[in-house]
Amino acid sequence: MDIISDILAIVQEKGGSIKPTHLMYKANLSHTQMKLYLEELMEKGLIQKDTSDEKLLMITKKGRDFVLKYHQMKDFEDTFGL
Amino acid sequence: MKIVLTPDWFLGKDVIIDVFSFIVLLLFFILSFKNYKLDKNKKFLFLGIGFGLISLAQLATIMTKLVLYFDTTFTKQIGQAIITYSVIKTVDIFYYLGFFFYRLFTLLGLYIIYKLPLEKEHKKDFFLALFFIIVISILSQDLTYLFRLTALILLLFITRNYYVVYKKNKSKKTLLLVLAFGILATSQIMFALSRQGSSISVIANLWELISYIILLTLIIRIIYHHGKKKKQNGYNIRYISNSSRKGRKH
Repeated sequence: MDIISDILAIVQEKGGSIKPTHLMYKANLSHTQMKLYLEELMEKGLIQKDTSDEKLLMITKKGRDFVLKYHQMKDFEDTFGL
Repeated sequence: MKIVLTPDWFLGKDVIIDVFSFIVLLLFFILSFKNYKLDKNKKFLFLGIGFGLISLAQLATIMTKLVLYFDTTFTKQIGQAIITYSVIKTVDIFYYLGFFFYRLFTLLGLYIIYKLPLEKEHKKDFFLALFFIIVISILSQDLTYLFRLTALILLLFITRNYYVVYKKNKSKKTLLLVLAFGILATSQIMFALSRQGSSISVIANLWELISYIILLTLIIRIIYHHGKKKKQNGYNIRYISNSSRKGRKH
């Protein structure tokens, strides 16, 4: 969950789209790990290939909503010390 | 015998405060449950159950008060002994059942919230606590102060728990939580003293309202804080990513 949120947050903070190699470097993941996570993210519709440039990965609306909900959850967790 | 300690001019207004409290508690229940669905962390689930039970307690008191206030008017209008008697019986049943569930759900919800930060909980401990909560809820029908005293003790322990959390995280939101539960605790003393004068009951209601306003402020801050988050530069991306990655497992 933390890794998925990290990946999405990185794409979002990069303006919504990023090169897979940059993402791999910023998320500090190996190529194999990255591939697995990206497959899962695409399967869940949180990320997709950029329509204007297929080399880029783009965060979807569902992905942005997930990041928001995740941060709210973390905030809630910290506030209550859970 | 006067069954409601609220002064006549405040009747109805106290129900509005109860409805407000119910909505705030329901929001906490919904948020906790949503977080549980996202993370599957059982602590969210238990927190949700705790708030959910207290919101049910509020609902029970709202329903009871509405029936009590409505039936009293009805009795005055009819003014016939037989009808009045049956109405009073209905009021009695509602009064006993409604306020019993109010006390039971409140104490149970507070107990769950209090036990949450503690690592291990034996099932038999819970059933023992449940037994005492039921006994207190029954006995408090005549000894109202017993319910208020139990709620006060639980609320003080909850306040202490969140103060410990605040000392660790120094979060303003946790401080709001400490403040809200602290105010809620002191309101129990006022409610316990309500028999000394109806104005104390009004002050207790208003004091309780303040704590629920603080809780609403907290929930708004949690929900909207991230929606208004400013866009950060690349350096911060890496920083956020690394900080949240602490302790994660591949």
